[in-house]
Amino acid sequence: MNSEKQLIIHDIREKIYWAIRMRYVIVVLGLILLPFAFFSNVQLGPLPYLLGFVLAYNLAAHLICLTKRRFEWVWQTLFLQSLFLIFDILTVTFFIYISGGLESPYWFFYLVLIIISGFGVYSYTSFSVFLIAVFSAAFYLGLLVLTYYGIIPTYGPTFSLSPQELLRSIINKAVFTTISFFLFAATIYYFSKLIVQHRYELAKKNQELLGTLEELKEIDRLKDDFVTTASHELRTPLSVVRENVSLIEDGVIGQTSDKQKELLKVSRLNIDRLAGILDSLLDISKIESRSLELKREKVNFSLLAARAVEILSSRAAEKKIVLKLDVPDRLETLADPDQILRVFINLIDNAIKYTPEGGRVEIGLFSEGSRIKGCVTDNGLGIVQADLKKIFERFVRLESEQTALIKGTGLGLSICLGILEMHGGSIWAESKGAGQGSTFIFTVPKVEA
Amino acid sequence: MSEHQERILLIEDEKAMSDAVKLRLEANGFSVLTAYDGQTGLATARKERPDLIILDVMLPKLDGFMVCRMLKFDEKYRNIPVLLLTARTQQTDVQQGEEMGADAYMTKPFKSEELLARIRALLSGENKKAEA
Repeated sequence: MNSEKQLIIHDIREKIYWAIRMRYVIVVLGLILLPFAFFSNVQLGPLPYLLGFVLAYNLAAHLICLTKRRFEWVWQTLFLQSLFLIFDILTVTFFIYISGGLESPYWFFYLVLIIISGFGVYSYTSFSVFLIAVFSAAFYLGLLVLTYYGIIPTYGPTFSLSPQELLRSIINKAVFTTISFFLFAATIYYFSKLIVQHRYELAKKNQELLGTLEELKEIDRLKDDFVTTASHELRTPLSVVRENVSLIEDGVIGQTSDKQKELLKVSRLNIDRLAGILDSLLDISKIESRSLELKREKVNFSLLAARAVEILSSRAAEKKIVLKLDVPDRLETLADPDQILRVFINLIDNAIKYTPEGGRVEIGLFSEGSRIKGCVTDNGLGIVQADLKKIFERFVRLESEQTALIKGTGLGLSICLGILEMHGGSIWAESKGAGQGSTFIFTVPKVEA
Repeated sequence: MSEHQERILLIEDEKAMSDAVKLRLEANGFSVLTAYDGQTGLATARKERPDLIILDVMLPKLDGFMVCRMLKFDEKYRNIPVLLLTARTQQTDVQQGEEMGADAYMTKPFKSEELLARIRALLSGENKKAEA
């Protein structure tokens, strides 16, 4: 038996149980209201028998459900459901009979049954509302006919109407109730169909989204794999070449002439350059695909700035550039120390690169309200207004006579931007124009541990 | 100060890399043993008890992390310093290296001066421990 059928059967069983519970409640209510029924037009006599009848078939339904644990087909369950449904209609009809028959105001109980079935308590398809409408109309009409022909004794008030008037009254009532049953059934049917449709579409959409989620997770995993593999695949041959070149250059393989050493040294430095570019590329790809994992530690920004200055001090010395550090003793927040160090190194290195000999680079840090602000200022080549935003784009390098000789990949600033954004901060550049130096400013929100 | 030549076990599956590093180490007075996969590496380490192990992470048969872990979690071999030498630079790899008990983590390509410096540092640290 396929699982969809299982679900349907399970569904109907649930509804049968629900109906069983409802009937117990009605029986109990009926018993409680028994004394009050005296004050409405309900004949007290048969009422207990009616309640007994309901209890009887409800217990039967309950018993069947308990003992027959596995229903074989959908139709078996539907049959059972319909059977008890008809008993319910019978119950309502009888109640109407003992509460005045033709004059009874309780014929709207049929409508209640129609509503409940429309919203699925009784049925699996909402088309069964019409089934209930038919049976209700049939039983009610049957009641009217039997009363008219005197086949069953009337319990209600006797009519002072003539037979023709009585007949007309009966026909009116019959037509009226039958039409209203069907109209009602049709309305409920329409609405329940809408709801079912809506639920179905929702479930389908859910499925689709789950599927998409799985796909995206897979792509993410593949991306991560790619970065790891690419990293390994590119670095391995690079390191082999570097080592071999270095071995020959150092004379380990045999004597090397000075000229040979010279060429090998250049080769080695270029391999280092390649490795650096590789690192930048992999970083930018990680940042953009959001697979860069950030550490969260208490970080002293002043310490990192000092470290960056230390690392770049020899490069600055080569160009006779002064590095001035103006930072407080401690400026801490939660951040990734390696990445923030990267930012400092990139900015200071850029400043050194784009400042001619004898220039000056100043690094400052302040606490500004709820954020930390850092700035790197140089008195170098400066940046024109139009380029201030562009330089943060990938692979963008400023082209001019002076910058033509400066080496770089154009990735440094976009990596900084990526890192700062991941920390919830920002970075921008300010400059008065060409030849007027530039200042790079970044902010990081202060986060408590 | 012992005159015995210090023995380094190099576990690296990329033969060109292994040859290059071996040359460099021998030129600097070390004696080098090689293995090209994790299983052989582990067995050699246990049999030969080298003074230091240089371990690549991506290895066939048994990856570097496992080899490191198995040596470090074993009392008999815990004292042998392990240097992970790898092209894998992800943060998670470094963390895993630390968790597995590696004494040092170096990424490729590396500067040979740095590698030698690290090796010497690890070995002298070891000697100090042994003498203490």
